[in-house]
Amino acid sequence: MLEILKDLCNLPGISGREDKVRDYIISKIDGYCEYETDPLGNLIAFKKGAKTPKNKIMLDAHTDEVGMIVTGIDSDGFIKFTNVGGVETAVIIGRNVRIGEKNIPGVLGIKPIHLIEKDEEQTLPKKDDLYIDIGAKSKEEALSLVSLGEEIHFESEFIEFGDGFIKSKAIDDRAGCAVMIDLIRSELEYDCWFSFSVQEEIGTRGAAVSAFTVNPDYAIVLETTTAADISGVKGEERVCVCGNGGAISFMDRATVYDIDLYRKALDVARNNNIKAQTKTRVAGGNDAGAIHKSRGGVKVLTISVPTRYLHSPCCVCKYEDIESVRDLAKAMITELAQ
Amino acid sequence: MEYGEVRELLYELCALKGTSGNEKAVAEGICGMLGKYMDARTDRLGNVTGTKGDGYSILLDAHIDQIGLAVTAVDDDGFVKVARVGGADCRVLTAAQVTVHGREDVFGVVTSTPPHLKGDDSENKVRKFDDITIDTGMTKEQADKIISPGDRITFNAPFDTLAGNRIASPSVDDRAGVAAILRCLQLLEGRKTCRIDVMFSAQEETGGSGAKVGAFNSQADEAIACDVSFAKAPGVNAEKYVALGSGTMVGYAPSLDYNISRRLTAIAVEKNIPHTEEVMGGRTGTNGDDIQVSGRGIRTALLSIPIRNMHTAVEVVDLADIENTARLMAEYIIERSAENA
Repeated sequence: MLEILKDLCNLPGISGREDKVRDYIISKIDGYCEYETDPLGNLIAFKKGAKTPKNKIMLDAHTDEVGMIVTGIDSDGFIKFTNVGGVETAVIIGRNVRIGEKNIPGVLGIKPIHLIEKDEEQTLPKKDDLYIDIGAKSKEEALSLVSLGEEIHFESEFIEFGDGFIKSKAIDDRAGCAVMIDLIRSELEYDCWFSFSVQEEIGTRGAAVSAFTVNPDYAIVLETTTAADISGVKGEERVCVCGNGGAISFMDRATVYDIDLYRKALDVARNNNIKAQTKTRVAGGNDAGAIHKSRGGVKVLTISVPTRYLHSPCCVCKYEDIESVRDLAKAMITELAQ
Repeated sequence: MEYGEVRELLYELCALKGTSGNEKAVAEGICGMLGKYMDARTDRLGNVTGTKGDGYSILLDAHIDQIGLAVTAVDDDGFVKVARVGGADCRVLTAAQVTVHGREDVFGVVTSTPPHLKGDDSENKVRKFDDITIDTGMTKEQADKIISPGDRITFNAPFDTLAGNRIASPSVDDRAGVAAILRCLQLLEGRKTCRIDVMFSAQEETGGSGAKVGAFNSQADEAIACDVSFAKAPGVNAEKYVALGSGTMVGYAPSLDYNISRRLTAIAVEKNIPHTEEVMGGRTGTNGDDIQVSGRGIRTALLSIPIRNMHTAVEVVDLADIENTARLMAEYIIERSAENA
């Protein structure tokens, strides 16, 4: 699963441009399940298990990542852009990016510290003033390399470091995708549906239609969520903690989760000796927000990999937590099937 | 690829890491590179120096240190606290990848504050250095075995090739200057010149201590300092800033020797070397200031290479500007050697 995760994280795929990620996933699940790509680009897979379940279960993870999109090129050949998904200015200034079909290298520049006024020291530039420098000497040269509407993603290679940690762009939510690929390639006790969903980061658009198509009784969303277990942060403020297993949500800004299902997940984890924890803050949102309102309603559960510095070029998580999420998801398929 | 020689030099130089006061690794690497052209050694403060030829002498200077951070503590959660070394810029640290140069090199990420812990502060508020921590993925117990206060931290970012022979990398300030001098020595190979002293100086970013003592040891007849300066960029548009790729910048300042400055401009015109004039009102903020007043005084000139995003992990330079700086330096040395033979 580590190698697959690494490949997935290194692929570009902002919202609406998930093609390369989808093609890769197909190459890994082909022969292990039935699958089809829907009109929006969701990859919907059906994996035959040993038994037919009483309830129809769908797992979901999103294929897109946050990034930027080219909106213009100024008269000096600098690239203007807007964000795709939630990207803070602080994490992109001074970073390296890659743009579009030709994978053109660029950097986000800033006025040097030697030349700024006092107030500029304390405030980052406005979003509209940000730009990407690709080295072009003119607008014409820039236009020969980059087109309006092309995707921009972070240049940030997958690295293993420290005490079992990994660092990469797009761990949100290639971690969930890697878990689903791993489950599809393994033997399952019961039949299960999988939605590799597009466009989560711009408002859970893909999952809204894949849930309609699959029409499940239960859905398990495999995600990443903020781990604020960093310097000096204590107790529930940490939201969840790297190394303590999958974070299970009882409520976030998009979903009030089925309380029985939430409790059942914690019980199943405990009974199977799988690490899991409660997400201790009502924050964020994910595909569950769209899925639970699909058709006549779906009971949803979210299990997330605790991840530091989400939506930055350097997301950090513990690999063992991804394994815990996989183990709990697998146990829950069996639990909910009966 | 155009400017292949300069590119290769810059690539090799930017792969070396060394912040002010901790230049040992970078000094060793550069000592080896300089050793191809002259006897090279390291002095008491960590400058790499070399000399070649006899008689009238010209000192060439560029600094080898780069801005960075230093470890002040490993906190109870295993996160590394920092202080700045040189003019590090807090605005560009969040989510940066770094290397902590402890007993061994350690990979790290500069932490960012999750949205729910930001309170009412606006998203665009810059954090203070005291609030910056580095995540090495280690527990305190693990980190304490490798990382100690005083260890230096540098950016871990790629040597990125942009369009049009332009490079983005950490430490272009002032490895571009070092590359220009090494390239100048390449261009002069096989020629008889006056004495050339080279000083690749330590501790420029923290105040120029290296150049001060290195120039004293040299006591050359004249000197050319070679550093980077500001190129035009969005937000950096005043008339006085020049475009990237517009050539070497000949410094004019009260502290610089007016005759050498004018001579450099005249040679650039005569030899068709792209150049601009960079005029300053007092001192220059470079090693030139320290070289000028070392010992009994040295007549000093300044050649600068325009870069964008100075003191970030993405300092952008045009290889042509390095090449043209090297060419002008070489032509100047050839003329002065003939005059003083």
